Amino acid sequence: MALLSVQGIHTAYDRVNVLHDVSLDVEPGKITCILGSNGSGKTTLIRSILGLTPPNQGDIVFEGASLVRLPTHEIIARGIACIPEGRRIFPKMTVEENLRTGAYRLSDSAEITRRAMQVYELFPRLKERRTQLAGTMSGGEQAMVSMGRGLMGKPKMLIIDEPSLGLSPLYVKENFRIIREINGMGITVLLVEQNVRQTLVIAHHGYVLSQGRMAASGTTEELSADAEVQAAYFG
Amino acid sequence: MSLDIFSQYLINCLMLGMIYAMVAVGFTLFFGVLDVIQFAHGDVLMAGGFGALVAYAATQAVGIANSWVQLLLMVVSTTVMTAALGALVARFLVLPLRNAPPLNTLLITLMMGMVLREAVRLVYPNGSNPQPFPSLLPHDAWRVGGLDLRVDSLILLVVGLLLIAGLHLLITRSKLGLAIRAVAQDGETARVMGINFNRIVLLTFGLGSAMGALGGVMRGLYYTEITFDVGLLLGVIGFAAAILGGLGNLYGAILGGFLFAVLQAIGAVALPVLLPDFPSAYKDVFAFTVVIVLIGWKPTGLIAEKTSERV
Repeated sequence: MALLSVQGIHTAYDRVNVLHDVSLDVEPGKITCILGSNGSGKTTLIRSILGLTPPNQGDIVFEGASLVRLPTHEIIARGIACIPEGRRIFPKMTVEENLRTGAYRLSDSAEITRRAMQVYELFPRLKERRTQLAGTMSGGEQAMVSMGRGLMGKPKMLIIDEPSLGLSPLYVKENFRIIREINGMGITVLLVEQNVRQTLVIAHHGYVLSQGRMAASGTTEELSADAEVQAAYFG
Repeated sequence: MSLDIFSQYLINCLMLGMIYAMVAVGFTLFFGVLDVIQFAHGDVLMAGGFGALVAYAATQAVGIANSWVQLLLMVVSTTVMTAALGALVARFLVLPLRNAPPLNTLLITLMMGMVLREAVRLVYPNGSNPQPFPSLLPHDAWRVGGLDLRVDSLILLVVGLLLIAGLHLLITRSKLGLAIRAVAQDGETARVMGINFNRIVLLTFGLGSAMGALGGVMRGLYYTEITFDVGLLLGVIGFAAAILGGLGNLYGAILGGFLFAVLQAIGAVALPVLLPDFPSAYKDVFAFTVVIVLIGWKPTGLIAEKTSERV
């Protein structure tokens, strides 16, 4: 059974209908990707799942229970975490405080410290800078903070929205390596990307959004082979 | 000027600065989490002060005579009452208007302040006139090196400083403080981290209101008097102090509060000495004029948003 199942949702944003009858399944333990150009509705889909812009129709089911109409913090409490587009770190908090916001729902301080240690193991750079204000760091380092923060909640499913946006090619490559590593820890990943080729390499299953509708879906091998999809959406 | 009078003015100035800081902190917290100006803040404090008076009357009615117990009950009831009032204002006036133009929030809270003010004036017996505030702290004075130090002033100063330090620790060290700062810096991302946005907003409004009300009770104990319109001037001064320090910045608000008190003291004491024709009653005229000039010079406040930590 799918871990997350989006079932025919319609979502309006500022009164304009952005998503039309969109469905998708995220299989547990896999990396599922959503591809699509700018303005195709990828971010609105993520916002719908997180309850920031709830759908008007359709259902979103996580582990068999509906998420629709739940406030965002309760959706997060079900075991979902998000590394938002543009990283959205808290600029006037230290690296360590940023990580602690990611474990906000947890009250066991020993466990929070243990998880922070795991994040520092994954990103040694953050350990060196744990008392630095996150807003004063470089874009690549902020991306690490955002990733680490997303991992602090030990989510069952991690949503990663456009992680390579605005990063240098070196960091982009590093990012994809880390996403694979996160998936290797047993965390299900829902990855939103514009960077088609590298995404198809690491993902297992993919969906293509176009103008608010699901245009294609399949395993990444199928999507890579589909000449029509290639021509239409990936250029 | 004799040392004795100077020390009196100094203590007075510190006391006022602390009270202003405690009011200003509320404005800055509210602006921090929701980017709104809560103009009923001063009147929430006034209502807290009158609530403390009612609590005092109640302790007398049930025969509690120990002034420490009376004081404790007054402080507890005013804290609970204003925290609830502040949270109610947030829940029913400010949060529903989150997507409306900010001017509407300003206007609706301004009107709420008027409602509170007029309601207290009309409902409280003889509410139009100043009400005596019980002076419950010991009146002993210590003679230290030619200075008279009054115990009640010292207690108020120490308690005020402890409250401000406690608020600082709460914001910088506690989990609630982490959530308040997260909401202040990026409300939507705070929600995505699993923080209950509305709950944090209500707690922040409760916290800021209670802090201000304690400042109001301290003012009552210091001047042994309270009026129904005390929130008007206190609110404007607290707001001016918060803006002066840099709205949204906790330390700016504290700095602004003390700075305003210093300006008042200069207007009341120093200027009449230098200019014989300057009556000390002009202290507020002087203080607000300087604030206007300072804000003209530094429009974003003395501790500018960019370089400092917002809330």
